[in-house]
Amino acid sequence: VLSFEIAGIHPHDVATILDRHDVAVRSGHNCTMPLMDRLDVPATVRASLYLYNTQEDVDRLVAGVHDARKIFGV
Amino acid sequence: MAATDEQFYREFILDHFRNPRNFGRLDSADISHEEHNPLCGDVVGMDFKVEDGTIADVRFHGRGCAISQASASLLTERLKGLRLDEAREISRDDVLEELGIQISPARLKCALLPLKVLKVGAWGLAGQDEDEFE
Repeated sequence: VLSFEIAGIHPHDVATILDRHDVAVRSGHNCTMPLMDRLDVPATVRASLYLYNTQEDVDRLVAGVHDARKIFGV
Repeated sequence: MAATDEQFYREFILDHFRNPRNFGRLDSADISHEEHNPLCGDVVGMDFKVEDGTIADVRFHGRGCAISQASASLLTERLKGLRLDEAREISRDDVLEELGIQISPARLKCALLPLKVLKVGAWGLAGQDEDEFE
């Protein structure tokens, strides 16, 4: 399970762009609002991988992250 | 795939996100109202200066995703100079049309948060029942 954020892009925007790459992630407080406050982030993106995920899935996630950075220019 | 993303995060939406119009606070606001979306952490607040029933000036503040902040910026552009009763007529369809993109159900709350601020703020001042607009 991998939680992350991209500086300059809100996690919901990241999730929307990843969705358009057919990558399903969760974004938001993930039911841990006190932790988000403590980490001083508005929310995070969370990718949860399992046995059925393939290398291609991960490549698509990475491509989506690059695309998000390109779109937002960060 | 990239072309689709660029269509969704259209340049003018990103421009409103990066360079929000009417961003800030008004010292002597006649109406001040702020709304939160606790699920995603978006915050949008608006200050209005009202003269003779007309919105003489408006500023918004907040933080959140590109959709919520661009939607707020777009809305303030439309509001300045409008009479309060005209501002009350602005519907969710107006807001979505102005954004001009297909908003998924999960992102509707982001796009409509600024309208909620306007509705509760402006209608509240006009002495109308807030429940009417929930």
